[in-house]
Amino acid sequence: MVDKLLIRAYSVGVGDCIHVMIPKARTDGENFHILIDCGTRGKGAVLKLAVDHLKTNLPEVDGKRRLDLLLVSHEHEDHIKGFDPEWFKDVKIENLWMTAAMNRKHPQAKFKHKLHDDVALAMRSIAARNLSLSPDLQDIVSRYSIDNDGALTALTETLPKQNKIDPLYVHAGLPPAKLKPATLAGATFKVLGPQENIDYYYLGEDAGDIVQTFALASAGALRSPAAAAALDAAPPANISGADFRRLRSRMMSSVFAFAEEEGEVVNNTSVILLIEWRGRRLLFVGDAEWNGAYVEGEKNFAWNVAWKKHATELGKPVDFLKIGHHGSRNSTPWNEREDGMKTEPSTILDAILPRPTGNKKPTAMAVVSTDRTKYDPIPKSPLLVEIGRRVRNTRNYFALLGNDRALTLPLYAEYEEQWLNQPQPFRTDIETMISGDIFVDIAIDPAAGH
Amino acid sequence: MPPKARAPARTAAPAAKRTTPASKVDAKASEKLKSISAAARVDLYSARQHLDSSTLDELTVKIPFDVFFQDPAVREATRAFNFDEAFTVPWEPGISDGPTSARFVVIDYDGTTEALTPPAKWDAKDNVFRDDNGLPLNRKNLDTPQFHQVNVWATLQNALDFYESGAGLGRRIGWGFEGNRLIVVPHAGYGENAYYDRDSKSLQFYYFDHNGKRVHTCLSADIINHEFGHAVLDGVRPLYRESVQVETAAFHEFIGDISAILIAFRNTKLRRQIGEVTGGDLDKDNALSSLAEQFGRKDEKPYLRTALNTLKYAEVKDSPSHHHMSQVMTGAMFDILRDVYRYNRERREHTVPQSLWFTASRMQNLAVQPLDLLPPVDVTFADYAEAVLRAEQIVNPTDPDGYRGMMLKAFGARGILSKTRIRELEKEPAVLTPVEMKVFHEAGDIAASRANAYRFLDDNRRQLLIPYGADLVVSDLSTAVKFTTRRRRQAKHILLQYVWREDVLLSGSQFGQFNGQITDLLCGATLALDIDGNLLAWARKPGTLPLIRSVRAEDKRVDGEAEAGRLRRDAFLTALAVRIRAGSIGGTPVGGAMGLLQKSIAPLTSSVVDGTLRFGLAPHLGIRNHAEDENNEMGDRSWSISS
Repeated sequence: MVDKLLIRAYSVGVGDCIHVMIPKARTDGENFHILIDCGTRGKGAVLKLAVDHLKTNLPEVDGKRRLDLLLVSHEHEDHIKGFDPEWFKDVKIENLWMTAAMNRKHPQAKFKHKLHDDVALAMRSIAARNLSLSPDLQDIVSRYSIDNDGALTALTETLPKQNKIDPLYVHAGLPPAKLKPATLAGATFKVLGPQENIDYYYLGEDAGDIVQTFALASAGALRSPAAAAALDAAPPANISGADFRRLRSRMMSSVFAFAEEEGEVVNNTSVILLIEWRGRRLLFVGDAEWNGAYVEGEKNFAWNVAWKKHATELGKPVDFLKIGHHGSRNSTPWNEREDGMKTEPSTILDAILPRPTGNKKPTAMAVVSTDRTKYDPIPKSPLLVEIGRRVRNTRNYFALLGNDRALTLPLYAEYEEQWLNQPQPFRTDIETMISGDIFVDIAIDPAAGH
Repeated sequence: MPPKARAPARTAAPAAKRTTPASKVDAKASEKLKSISAAARVDLYSARQHLDSSTLDELTVKIPFDVFFQDPAVREATRAFNFDEAFTVPWEPGISDGPTSARFVVIDYDGTTEALTPPAKWDAKDNVFRDDNGLPLNRKNLDTPQFHQVNVWATLQNALDFYESGAGLGRRIGWGFEGNRLIVVPHAGYGENAYYDRDSKSLQFYYFDHNGKRVHTCLSADIINHEFGHAVLDGVRPLYRESVQVETAAFHEFIGDISAILIAFRNTKLRRQIGEVTGGDLDKDNALSSLAEQFGRKDEKPYLRTALNTLKYAEVKDSPSHHHMSQVMTGAMFDILRDVYRYNRERREHTVPQSLWFTASRMQNLAVQPLDLLPPVDVTFADYAEAVLRAEQIVNPTDPDGYRGMMLKAFGARGILSKTRIRELEKEPAVLTPVEMKVFHEAGDIAASRANAYRFLDDNRRQLLIPYGADLVVSDLSTAVKFTTRRRRQAKHILLQYVWREDVLLSGSQFGQFNGQITDLLCGATLALDIDGNLLAWARKPGTLPLIRSVRAEDKRVDGEAEAGRLRRDAFLTALAVRIRAGSIGGTPVGGAMGLLQKSIAPLTSSVVDGTLRFGLAPHLGIRNHAEDENNEMGDRSWSISS
């Protein structure tokens, strides 16, 4: 393993916690350790286990464990929940990078922040009302839970103070020197997203209008519980109470539509990091999303913007892909209709993970940090099978698990059965079932001649 | 995507000076109202089917209302154009606060602000709605939410009349849900859309801000009538919602769009304006051909969709977008409209206004009456084309003006009907023959009850090509009195829909998560008879259960039906696999106290009923799908949510 680059994806449920070790890449000849994200949608206990395990693999320097770089792709719970300052007080973080979208002072994210704050206020007001919500809406409310603030404060204030460093808020277009930690020698980091002008690219020219409109859309959400109760007590006289309740439950919620949109922006401003090491190209994409095609001046999605702005970098095959958003359909660009049509997303996939032709075998590798829970579309199995055709580290999980254990997977008949006996890239959830380990490793050799 | 051509869409003529001043109209209506006693009005209401429209207007069984044609925020400069002096709605005895009437109930609940607005108050003495201060709600008092309530209600009452009157279906229609009052929400909340939702029995109209102005979808006749088209079709053909075919969803959109176009065409002022703007040439872009300018202007396109398109069926048949696909049918009907207009203008030497008026009235007959001849399930554009041609034969058997030829030309040119089928239809005689029955049933007896209708069907399974093993359900039975093109009453029609379900095992990886489950293929037919037992139309959707063969060794009729059934089953499975692969199928949305998130609703829903899998169109049928507008050819991202 001496000369291999190690990517270790901890099995933390629906969440990312990824340790990257670049061999001998420090100026002093030591290994360079990176932690990319540490979060989950589930209970934090799995993160504590992961962090404790990670620490045992970090070198000890002056009584602390040295982490050369902590990279935070974006501020969703499933990527930051584990940043408890207590857990990290015996870790010496040398560099802390976060997406520019997390910089409250970033001038070109003014509207993005305003929208986030307003949405959080509305969601917390809804949470306080203790309403019975549909599961998808409940999920959105929980994203804005006050708990997330603790992790954010840790990242932006406590951890920098604890380590006496200034965080670097990264975006595409930063000078290469900025993206080269002082101790790094054997690898190059490139940031392909987000763009610096966050409001323009990810909200569009109408960013100001969107924020203004939200104030209006959240009017009801911000009402007091008493006002809402008064409405329940006096329904209209010309329909029944049951009909009125059903009607209200089936109207389209604008406050949630905006909250959902804000969630997209957070995903789309994920750091897209390209690590170049000894002839290899490794791509970490956070939860970057894709949409149809780039449209100037409109609200765009991360992959489309990156394709528009960094086609040279994305236009070549990568040797490793951290599959985005736990394998959801909307994070790895592909033609989800699978009808053979060429679309912008499918073109991107063909560029970064080309399907081998003829008798050739794929050479790239990939991993997805995931767990099948009530979020049934995650991971999207047909997508994993499609990626499985393009990478070499695949498994036939059905064969490995056997029928009886396969049946224990949640929503097996609905979302696994058809695809489980086809090659899929490594999945943290099933790897852990098989090995009992709390992580899955991928080792990458240098390219020939490097 | 709609063609990009820019059009002077709905550019209003400087018509204000020709209109009767509002005060005069109000005064006239009010005088008339006072001159007739309440008891006399009820008598007239009971006798309404024997009176023609102008008499009803004259006797105030129809009440004049001020309704917007378009939201003034969209077209402020021509505000006067918005009101049509000839606009009336049928009076009925039960009108009350809300407005509330026999078939509609307005609930002004705003889901965004979570507030209820007080209802407009009905003044039965003066036949007007009043605001909280007692002022009548009309063009002099239009900035209140109560005016919006009345606006949307009156537009709907008028649209219902468009469908139920003799020139339309000639019968009362039901809704696609349990209940008789369609809930109408004029200010449903913030959003750029409007919906018909069967599950909440409602039409929901949202509002949005554009360029600093509030745009209300409840003030656009186009949008109201489009959504109402969904409600009507869901009422007369509720099983279309169970189809997995994009074309059936596209037909729903077509009905929405054609309703908007044809009801707008009844607007006297609009016709006048079209005449002036186009110089009588309907081939030019005009206010009639373009739909929902509100959205078009917002997106810097002139309108949402246009009927002036040249799409062919082959170009859209595999489109995943039902809104896009619908345009070929709308386009074909608009081709016919233009031909009818041109014929009357040129051959019958009508003036432009005369020909426009005649065409408007003829199109109602021609487009609406065929709805009763459509099959009960899985409708296609070809089914509708056949129904249009058959309805024309019924209403106009001698066809001295060659209208049927115009229809055949349009359906042929668009590729909606094949060339072979066109040739067959050209030769089809307009004769009515009695239904072939082994066991005779009087048409009047068949019409008496569903149980009677069932016995008629069951007694004649072989003749009616109904499988022996099918557990038949009479899904609808009604009678109708439709008008001829000269507004005379036709013989009474008996309209019978029957269906059965056949188990289909989904087997193979193409069915993804549904592999190994059992779903059902809906089969059945619509049988239309006249009161003398003549067969008007018989639109069948066969299945694959064994049919009863005649004693003859060869039975071509049965063989043909069985083959058609097999093809249907294959088409169903193919369509389902495509939808599954495209990720278009989700669960059934469950709303909570804060409503639903549009993005989390899949284009098709799935649920298990009595152990069998059922699919269905997403319950909220909207006028637009934003994801389709912008990324028509791209992945179906419209219903995936981020986290």
